[in-house]
Amino acid sequence: MYKYKASKETGAKSWVFQRITGLALVVFMIGHYILMHYQPESGKTYEAVLYRMQFSWYRIIDLTFVTLGIYHGFNGLWGIFRDYDMKPWLKITIISIILIAGLAFLVWGYNIIFSIPYIN
Amino acid sequence: MEEKKIKFFEQKNWIKENLSYYKDSGSWAWIYHRISGIALLLYIFMHIWSLSPLTSGKEAFEHKMAMYSTPVFSVIEWLLFAIVLFHSLNGIRIVLVDWADGARYHKKLYKLTWIVGIVLFLAMGFVMFSHEIFKLFR
Repeated sequence: MYKYKASKETGAKSWVFQRITGLALVVFMIGHYILMHYQPESGKTYEAVLYRMQFSWYRIIDLTFVTLGIYHGFNGLWGIFRDYDMKPWLKITIISIILIAGLAFLVWGYNIIFSIPYIN
Repeated sequence: MEEKKIKFFEQKNWIKENLSYYKDSGSWAWIYHRISGIALLLYIFMHIWSLSPLTSGKEAFEHKMAMYSTPVFSVIEWLLFAIVLFHSLNGIRIVLVDWADGARYHKKLYKLTWIVGIVLFLAMGFVMFSHEIFKLFR
């Protein structure tokens, strides 16, 4: 009678990930705000960005930040849709749009970070 | 014994259903969390879009950043911080409810969310506009 039509995924994992990524984002966000607003002009010029991006560890932090942010954002968006009863085809369509948009977003963000040159 | 009729959420009239439902602090937290979440997802899109001139080098980037260095934009940035703050603090509240028995004290946490949020919002306003504030008293 009750048959899974779309997925056997209960969402338990995404629920845990949403909380873990959320907490991590709070930590990253605090760092981000200190960096950007400690001084009126801190970190907003091209030189400042270029300087930071010379450190590979900083790039890794940035890549992690954008990955977590986009994951959390799109998983949250899916969480909103999941509150409503949907036909399987609609669910699959929305999931597909969210996945493709999320991945496109991620590639876009990564591309910006990788495009900043290393200068010796 | 009379059989009680269970009322289900009518998805077709979701606006009316949501508006007529009695809302305690938790409901408001849920609504604000959702709205702020959607706003932040839109913002992260704008954020990546506004940084995209970095791929074309210094001039393109600084031309774009000049647009964001106006006082009006700073105020918008400050308001964005309010959204970030609510979503972060209420997010912590949600984690506490889920993992630290917060269901017993979630209403106090909701009040705390607002108190801490407003304090941090004003503090950030001071950090962002301190130069302008000092100019007023000179």
